[in-house]
Amino acid sequence: MAKLTPVGTSPRAPKSIPAAPSQSSQSSLASAIFQRPLSLYLSAALFRIVLILYGLWQDANSPIKYTDIDYLVFTDAARFVARGQSPYARETYRYTPVLAWLLLPTAYQTGSPFWDAVWFSSGKVLFAAADLVAGWLLERVLIMGRGDARPMDVPTARKFAAIWLLNPMVATISTRGSSEGLLGVLVMALLWAVMARQVTLAGLLLGFGVHFKIYPFIYAPAIVWWMDRERIAGSDAVAPTKVLNRIMGFFTPSRIRLAAVSLATFMGLNITMFNIYGAPFLTHTYLHHVTRIDHRHNFSPYNTQLYLASAFPDLSALRIESVAFLPQLILACVLIPLVVAKKDLPTAMLAQTFAFATFNKVCTSQYFLWYMILLPLYLPGSSFLKTKRLGVSALTLWVASQGLWLQQGYELEFLGRSTFLPGLWLASLGFFLVNCWILGIIIGDVLIRSKVS
Amino acid sequence: MRERITFIQKLGDSLEPSALTVSGRDLNGPNVRAVREDKLTFSLDELPSELHTLLKASHELHIRWVSPVAYETVSPLLARLPPGFHLFYTPGQGTDVASHKLCSTLQDVFGSITCSTPAESFTSLPVDRFSHATASQYYQPLGSLSHFIRYAKGQLCPASDSSCAARLDGLTGASSLDVSYDTISHALKITALWPYQSQPVRAMSRPRVRTEVGVLSAEKPPTMKDHELGIAGLLTVLGQDAKPSATMFAFASRHRDAESGFSATFLTPTGLHPTLQIRLESSKPPSTSTYCSPHAYLILPNTIFADKYQFSDDLFLASKNLTALRFISQPVDLEAPAYVMKPWGSAVLVELAPPSKSPQPWTAEIPLHLRYLSPAHGGYAGVQVPHPAVFWACTAEEGTKFPNNPFERVNLGYDGLFGPRTVFWHVEPRAQGGERLVSTVKVPVLDLNRMEWVNVGTAVTVLLGFAWVVWKLLGVYRKAGHGRVLTKEAKKEKKRQ
Repeated sequence: MAKLTPVGTSPRAPKSIPAAPSQSSQSSLASAIFQRPLSLYLSAALFRIVLILYGLWQDANSPIKYTDIDYLVFTDAARFVARGQSPYARETYRYTPVLAWLLLPTAYQTGSPFWDAVWFSSGKVLFAAADLVAGWLLERVLIMGRGDARPMDVPTARKFAAIWLLNPMVATISTRGSSEGLLGVLVMALLWAVMARQVTLAGLLLGFGVHFKIYPFIYAPAIVWWMDRERIAGSDAVAPTKVLNRIMGFFTPSRIRLAAVSLATFMGLNITMFNIYGAPFLTHTYLHHVTRIDHRHNFSPYNTQLYLASAFPDLSALRIESVAFLPQLILACVLIPLVVAKKDLPTAMLAQTFAFATFNKVCTSQYFLWYMILLPLYLPGSSFLKTKRLGVSALTLWVASQGLWLQQGYELEFLGRSTFLPGLWLASLGFFLVNCWILGIIIGDVLIRSKVS
Repeated sequence: MRERITFIQKLGDSLEPSALTVSGRDLNGPNVRAVREDKLTFSLDELPSELHTLLKASHELHIRWVSPVAYETVSPLLARLPPGFHLFYTPGQGTDVASHKLCSTLQDVFGSITCSTPAESFTSLPVDRFSHATASQYYQPLGSLSHFIRYAKGQLCPASDSSCAARLDGLTGASSLDVSYDTISHALKITALWPYQSQPVRAMSRPRVRTEVGVLSAEKPPTMKDHELGIAGLLTVLGQDAKPSATMFAFASRHRDAESGFSATFLTPTGLHPTLQIRLESSKPPSTSTYCSPHAYLILPNTIFADKYQFSDDLFLASKNLTALRFISQPVDLEAPAYVMKPWGSAVLVELAPPSKSPQPWTAEIPLHLRYLSPAHGGYAGVQVPHPAVFWACTAEEGTKFPNNPFERVNLGYDGLFGPRTVFWHVEPRAQGGERLVSTVKVPVLDLNRMEWVNVGTAVTVLLGFAWVVWKLLGVYRKAGHGRVLTKEAKKEKKRQ
């Protein structure tokens, strides 16, 4: 298969680091960080090392732990695996066994408390390293150029990659031991592979990503739609007129390859895991998400309604929760890929993730990380950066509506006040509407930035 | 049927034999401050048929009902349990059908017992731990024996016998009621205990019932060893003895008095993660010669639970004055709301860590979590949590034997979690404020009075958000279609072609 523009040989991609005059004139620390790769990645790495060390100190000295409870779940599961047992022996382990395998070093016991702590932290080091790799891939994709837009110079690319790399929220989440950073690297690698026309690699990553966390399946339609004949086969063919030809024309070799490789990867992993761990693998990794009653309060607009419906399963005639997946999947898997993907793949993926999280039946703050990795690809030239007031308002509204919800949640969780109605419910609806507004602007930006309007 | 009635006074209080008058089948004496225990033993064929059938299908069945009203007791009747209705059960072999009827029979006998079947509602107890425990456990709050009294009157008392009914009515004031059956003894034993209070010594026996009456008090016979308790007093077999005969004996007892108290309260605000604070009056071990450590045995209804994973960090445990979580019944779902829970709840044994060995008051805190409860009018629901049983578990010295003693109480839930050489030194629960040994946690729930807009409001908001996003997508589609947007250079190139 002919590759049109492999990344390294793109005639339009700048060879090395031609510093823009506007930036070289700035002698601030910030611009120095973005000039040389070492300084950015070193500061991102140092940031995480300091957080991991601080976490070790806090865990050893305070009854309130820095380490996330999820990390204890993962490492408990890894310990079960190290003893030859199933990771699902640990209650609430709802992930692929691969995660427990990756964390096997955390189960290593040396007998010395110091080295045990080092081994125990190895999973956090892995997650933090995944952050850095995700940031580096982010920089690569930015340099390649978003969609059909012009590629970006390296220092500017690094500046935007820093939104992820130096983001305190991202660094804290991964050093506390949440595995979401691994998703970041998977998604960014997938996007890089697609844009570099590495179809087989993209298929492998897509299949693995869906096996790992289900939700990356939403990227499949966008990638497939983006991968048209013009883009990937190199032939700028005249659009076929006959319907049948158009349908046949859709099935390009690269699309078929992507579908075959990703499906084989996904099914291969599932069959392997099922053979090793049996029914508990299916129950906890996948079926749990179908059967769970998501009653604990979270950001989802459906939350209050779901609590009500789960308590009175016979009462509600119209079951909103059983059709709730419709707006979510129509947006994330059909409309956004169809309208946005060919124009701007990274923005399409951001909008899909945003729509998926916003319209989901459960939404917790870890979901925000899913779209945060894609944000730096969209932001350059976006109306949020062009119109400062819009950007500030969007950020303020997003933070404030979330803060309002958190305040209501705090009153419920810790003060025991019954804030379910109306406080928590209205706050989640408010947060939902703010998210929808932002999503609308992201989608509308596809026109502005392509200078079509 | 056999019967034993025992009054036990404190050390130093004793009755002269002349104070008791025995006439035929009656025994009368003065008012004494004492604990009263009535123990009745029935053979199976004396029981109503439904009970007969149920027991025949059981291998072991032990009911332990404890009143929520705080009560004082005396040695050796010291074994305590959290208030409520406890059941310890091992089914007989191949008797699934009869086992299915257990819950409905219990409901007939005791009233509001809401279990469905042992398989669904009971939790299994560890079989590997110590062999003297039953296979499964059940608990539910039960404030009074009124339903049981009504049932027993109807089944056991002949219509003509008013004294029978009067005696059963006396159970209203009882502090605990034990019902025990096992296939080895093939008999049903019912034991009722009335608290330490002033009461008349009075007993009478019915024909064909062997009734033994003891008026006893704690004593220290000179031959008594350190690990033993002494008892002395007067014994009379009604209708057989013309006068009481004196007795004195000593025995090793598994349950002893730590001679201190505790109270239990939930720290406020309780929120959704309430902390049960146990305030102990002394941190001085009851026995200095052997290893002792304080424990709390909690019975948690399925609305509230302990997360075993939270008890793994030493610093966290130390900050709460806890040593370790020693036992938690399984399974405990850490996520499910209460309204889908089938098992009754969970039993938890926590070892406490006194900060010093001085007789200072101290507290231990047990972190718990609430499940989501069904929506209710007003936005709040109450969860009743019985106060735990708190005791010092001490190892008896090597070679100590605990032969069956007449006041032994077994199958208490926690006794099966310790080795056979453990002595339980009980700390007396003190009721805070009222007289009840039950705390109520106010749980925030969805307010049913305000729910009318939830379905419509959620649907309208979601549709509004959806419509806005679709509108924006439509805007892009109308201007640029579903394909790629060509850059200016690309457009020019296309025109040239």
